[in-house]
Amino acid sequence: MADPILVVDDIVVSFDTTEGPIAAVDHVTFDVRPGEFLSVIGPSGCGKSTVFNVIGGLLSHSHGIVSVSGEAINGPHKSIGMVFQEESTFPWRTVIDNVAFPLELNGLPRRERNERAKHFIAMVGLAGFENRYPGELSGGMRQRVSLARTLASEPKILLMDEPFAALDEQTRLLLGDKVLQIQQQLHQTTLLITHNITEAVQMSDRILVMTYRPGRVKRIVEIHLPRPRSSDIVSSDAFGHYVAEVWSDLREEASRGMEDAERHALGTAGEAS
Amino acid sequence: MAATGQLTRKAAGVPFDPVTMLRVAIVAATLIVWEALSRSGWFYRDVIPSLWSIAKAVYALLTQGTFYFDLGVTAAEIGAALLIGGGLGLVAGILLGGSRFLSQAYETYLYYLGPTPKIIFFPVMIMWFGVGPESKVALGALSCFFPVALSVAAGMRQIDKVLIRVGRSFRARPWQMIVKIYLPAMRHPIVNGIRLGFGVALIGTLLAETKLSNMGIGFRIINAYSTFDIPRMYAMLIVLFVLAIAVNALIGRLGGLGAVKR
Ligand SMILES: Nc1ncnc2c1ncn2[C@@H]1O[C@H](COP(=O)(O)OP(=O)(O)OP(=O)(O)O)[C@@H](O)[C@H]1O
Ligand SMILES: [Mg+2]
Repeated sequence: MADPILVVDDIVVSFDTTEGPIAAVDHVTFDVRPGEFLSVIGPSGCGKSTVFNVIGGLLSHSHGIVSVSGEAINGPHKSIGMVFQEESTFPWRTVIDNVAFPLELNGLPRRERNERAKHFIAMVGLAGFENRYPGELSGGMRQRVSLARTLASEPKILLMDEPFAALDEQTRLLLGDKVLQIQQQLHQTTLLITHNITEAVQMSDRILVMTYRPGRVKRIVEIHLPRPRSSDIVSSDAFGHYVAEVWSDLREEASRGMEDAERHALGTAGEAS
Repeated sequence: MAATGQLTRKAAGVPFDPVTMLRVAIVAATLIVWEALSRSGWFYRDVIPSLWSIAKAVYALLTQGTFYFDLGVTAAEIGAALLIGGGLGLVAGILLGGSRFLSQAYETYLYYLGPTPKIIFFPVMIMWFGVGPESKVALGALSCFFPVALSVAAGMRQIDKVLIRVGRSFRARPWQMIVKIYLPAMRHPIVNGIRLGFGVALIGTLLAETKLSNMGIGFRIINAYSTFDIPRMYAMLIVLFVLAIAVNALIGRLGGLGAVKR
């Protein structure tokens, strides 16, 4: 088997809060192989975005190493492209200028970068919208612009943090198809952060389930479903089996998260009265 | 939000809608009251000149070369003041907005100094820069520094943090971050600051001209006043007023270009 392209080795991140330092991510170790689609799943607040930011080089960690193709990273790495959880298009740029942004940073001449931007705009299904502003598009279309922009930088590893979380179910499913299709077409190594089990099973080669506070690796589930896949796979028996398997792992953590939240709510209510 | 803006703008474009009619009505009412007062004879001669004599004075003014020279002087002073004061204000605003440390140290000073009338520094400016246009530019620049700096500092803090993370993730260099992310993300507060800055630079410069100078519109206005050429004084005030509105609208239009698009 090929050497891993991304190695996350024993990462620890803690945040200083009013109640002292809390470990958000606690000794997390995993790797991603070239061309692989790996999903990281876990309940809200378990440290998924924290892992995402550490791999993206936007957040410093107190322990451990992240390396890309054997080289330890120190800040944002050129082989890693990020798609953020939040709305992140530049509202003052047209779609084409948004997508061409990373190419512009690299000093590519206008004609060439527009050509390449158009290619990726077509890939996410937005051909014809090149000269619109993000404000004129729907939320799902804006997320596709963000995806095209990151793809335009041609990263070896595509990192996505719940890119469809804010979208409605139908849009999410269709966008999921789009991502699958692109990933299969480009053989794009992808790390997707999500809290949606169906999405994770539908797309991934492996799913990493995280524990709730502190965020640790609970289990890694291999998904042996045939490729190419699309959202149709959702109705197969094997699919249902995997969903049940991941859910049984996730359920414990999610309910711990819920209890924690309830306890917290009671605690603060008690203080207030 | 953008959609309603477009709708109201469109509605206002219809020639005889209620809003336009109200606007015309208030202008007409002002003119009628003015003319009535002028003819009433209640005021000392020429304090309220007739509309006709003012119109004649405006015409005389606009067909006269010297007026344009003075207008040019004042415009150049204000332009230089905006460039210097606004430029320094922009830099100061970026520094203050970008560093919590600097903003804690200095921003309160700006808040207190901002609304202070800068004309009190005019004697100092005369000592440093002389009685010529330089002292007016200095006063105008001092005036417009504050609103631009405060507006930009606030704008800097309001930038959507994720856009900065996008820039960093694409490994933008510091200069690229400023030019391609910070400045465009702050276009509205910057334009707003420049608008406020233009207003106070105009006030500062004109006020300084009326105090001590030998050219510029402020000087001509005070000159007309002291030689009892009241229609001419009003004529200059009107032209100045119209120009100030036009410039403000222009600045607003420049900043508003992207505003419709979210
Ligand atoms: N800047 C910060 N300061 C203090 N605590 C933080 C900070 N960022 C995150 N945390 C804490 O770290 C934990 C993990 O946060 P993180 O954003 O990584 O969760 P997540 O798994 O991405 O959640 P979600 O699914 O809701 O996006 C949370 O408990 C959060 O409160
Ligand atoms: Mg998150």
